[in-house]
Amino acid sequence: MELYFNRPMPHGGRLVERVLKDKKAAKKIVQACEKAGAVYDIKPTLHYKRGTPVRNVYREIMSVCYGFFSPVEGSMTSAELESVLSKRRLLSGWIFPYPILFDISKEDYQKLGVDAGDRLLLRLKGKPFAILDIEEVYEIDPAELADRTFGTPETNPEVVKEKFDDKHPGWVIYRSHQPIILAGKFTIINEPIFKPPFDRFWIPPRKCREIFDERGWRTVIAHQTRNVPHVGHEMLMKAAAFTGDVEPCHGILVNAIIGVKRRGDYPDEAILEAHDMVNKAGYIKPNRHLVSFTLWDMRYGNPLESLLHGIIRQNMGCTHHMFGRDHAAVGEYYDTFATQILWLKGIPSYGFDKPPTEVEGGLQIRPQNMREFWYCPKCKEMAYSENCGHDKEKQKLSGSLIRGLVAEGVQPPAIIMRPEVFKTIVKWWKKFDYPFVNEKYVQYKEETLEVDVPDLD
Amino acid sequence: MEYILEVFLDDYRLAKLKGTPVEANIEAVFGGELKVVRVKVGEEVKNDILKAFETARIDSRACITDTPVAFKRALFEEIANQKSLGEEVVKAVLANIDKIKELAVKEAEYLPAPEIETE
Repeated sequence: MELYFNRPMPHGGRLVERVLKDKKAAKKIVQACEKAGAVYDIKPTLHYKRGTPVRNVYREIMSVCYGFFSPVEGSMTSAELESVLSKRRLLSGWIFPYPILFDISKEDYQKLGVDAGDRLLLRLKGKPFAILDIEEVYEIDPAELADRTFGTPETNPEVVKEKFDDKHPGWVIYRSHQPIILAGKFTIINEPIFKPPFDRFWIPPRKCREIFDERGWRTVIAHQTRNVPHVGHEMLMKAAAFTGDVEPCHGILVNAIIGVKRRGDYPDEAILEAHDMVNKAGYIKPNRHLVSFTLWDMRYGNPLESLLHGIIRQNMGCTHHMFGRDHAAVGEYYDTFATQILWLKGIPSYGFDKPPTEVEGGLQIRPQNMREFWYCPKCKEMAYSENCGHDKEKQKLSGSLIRGLVAEGVQPPAIIMRPEVFKTIVKWWKKFDYPFVNEKYVQYKEETLEVDVPDLD
Repeated sequence: MEYILEVFLDDYRLAKLKGTPVEANIEAVFGGELKVVRVKVGEEVKNDILKAFETARIDSRACITDTPVAFKRALFEEIANQKSLGEEVVKAVLANIDKIKELAVKEAEYLPAPEIETE
């Protein structure tokens, strides 16, 4: 029996790193593409009905090229897309839950006049950013893509309860894709510079593994978040971290998903700084707690999203991943415990007759399925639902309860939200004139993004 | 099934309920740090609220949440006015739904931040 858990290898065996650091070489590439007229300015994906931003593909290019999505190296070919949709496997056999696609309109495709074998320069904020080496050009039906990505109650009866529709932000993202797909590998040729506060939390997988080494973290548990932490989240992190090997996990990696979110979520800036405040204020020691993020416009795909989370955090070097109820979920589309079902026994209709850690091409990160914490006035503590026997007395925390307090300007009691965390929310509330994501914030984020792109000179 | 609307009480609201029959129904939650009154409503009123406000939803506690602040303020005023936690206070609020919706549109753009030190 092995006593110690070793850090898992990157998913697929090696970290993808597709970032060209040589500026001279980058300039040559830019000149060649400009000469050929193969230049495309990245546009946001707009809601297919409302026209509001729902995604920016630059986030996917960043996550691919810095290795968060290893072994994915670019926009998927038609064969790879079919493999992902039907089996949740790449053509190489490694599991992957979602289509990653570089989509453009028919009009833009006609204007560009590019084809397989061509190299396309992608500009962001008007500056050279990345290239796409085109291997295939094909057409999709976005409605079909959206349905097949998430499944239906008929095709995935184990966990899908309702048909996905335009109230589901992830379904809307795929439904809003443009019909022409340019497939091929991405390479960043001009590294964007993160703006504050994002710059402090940008830790790509290779760097993350180095930090784990420096800190002597053999075991690390990942915490997925798209929210500011209340005390229930903090207890979840602390308790889940008691797993490990011969001792509790050495570290907790908070990895926030940064990108377009739904109305009512908290601004990205507040999410990152509020999590950081948990360690700054000493609720979890800073030497055991690290806050980071991944760029991704959340698809809210519950079990599918949990697979992506497992891939990202395995690539970052985590040994464990905590999963709670309604993981990365919105609405009633999925069974409350769909993610936990996937990681405990698999979901055959999604291509998993066994848990994702036991299938060929699967993951090595270990799931830690958790139920919930509530406040128990009898125990006089934040109690774990599976321990506390005071079912009648329990006082459940919910994000919406806290949102309600925040919206009314009532400071939540310290027992459910740390005062330092609330102050962080208010700091960003003052900046944006609003505590939550609203239309104005979505527009602001799309205009400014998380990065600036430097001149290549 | 019964659904719950929670109304949280700060010092101002507690003072307005002092001496009324509602005072006996004030509950202290989360270690006594938060005071709340609860209005229970049936299926029909619940549906009216969900229909009126796109953001409203039912959470895991069967509470109707994510309603506009304007709705919550009006609900409290109606509770204080009628000195009751019966379903009729919600019906009275819903009778003025157009005015609340107007306020809700404005509040989707701007909510005043509390005056606390953040640095």
